[in-house]
Amino acid sequence: TGGHTTEILRLLSCLSESYSPRHYVLADSDKMSEAKIRSFEQKRAETFSESQFSLDRIPRSREVRQSWISSVVTTLYSILYSLPLTYKRKPDLILCNGPGTCVPVCLSAFLLGLLRIKRTIIVYVESICRVETLSLSGKILYYFSDYFIVQWPDLKKKYPKSVYLGRIV
Amino acid sequence: FRFKDSLAEELQSADLVISHAGAGSCLETLEKGKPLIVVINDKLMDNHQLELARQLHRDGYVLYCNCSTLVETLQSMNLSALKPFPPGQPEKFASFLDKVFGLQ
Repeated sequence: TGGHTTEILRLLSCLSESYSPRHYVLADSDKMSEAKIRSFEQKRAETFSESQFSLDRIPRSREVRQSWISSVVTTLYSILYSLPLTYKRKPDLILCNGPGTCVPVCLSAFLLGLLRIKRTIIVYVESICRVETLSLSGKILYYFSDYFIVQWPDLKKKYPKSVYLGRIV
Repeated sequence: FRFKDSLAEELQSADLVISHAGAGSCLETLEKGKPLIVVINDKLMDNHQLELARQLHRDGYVLYCNCSTLVETLQSMNLSALKPFPPGQPEKFASFLDKVFGLQ
């Protein structure tokens, strides 16, 4: 969604073409991100003509301030959707930065790793908006990600296993 | 106007921006190098939103007030004391990932 998409596209801006093809996963209710992504990829194709990407949609795992119990149910439903997607793509790397949409995708990849089907490296970058506390996605994925990146020193202190590179968006 | 796809034009021609504490608004304004006063909505106490505004204020990038103190802030503000906002560095992230995958 919105801010998350802008941030993740900035994170992608300096990556080489080794990080290709790129598969974007969006929430089905997200109306604005697709345009931003296409615009980014179009620009990229001007420099790297072989550039490839795809877009997939999954049900949104959780609405803002949705109750705990119903969130677990909707997230499980989203995992059901994202498991076949993750299995099909078998990504080497999953890069995410916080929207609820990323939790089911990462958990699916984690599961496929446990089942020795595909080992995916999960890199989570917490949003620049998070200075003192982690988002809910962050709190969950802190334990499931291979690299957990924070953008403010306070968070590095609170979450010692995280990586601090300063502001990267 | 109520909603627009992008405020980039308005931002470019503004001398001063007064905004709510939304991260997108704050960052977009700071990146364009415009002085910014962030107004906190006491009633909509979304702590998460306040974190960034508070930090930006602590670091000297923005001025900070609530609805009732806005006028006072406008009257006594010293915009030249605001520090320029350095851009983020996505190249550090790229470097980090390259190391993870042994691509350096």
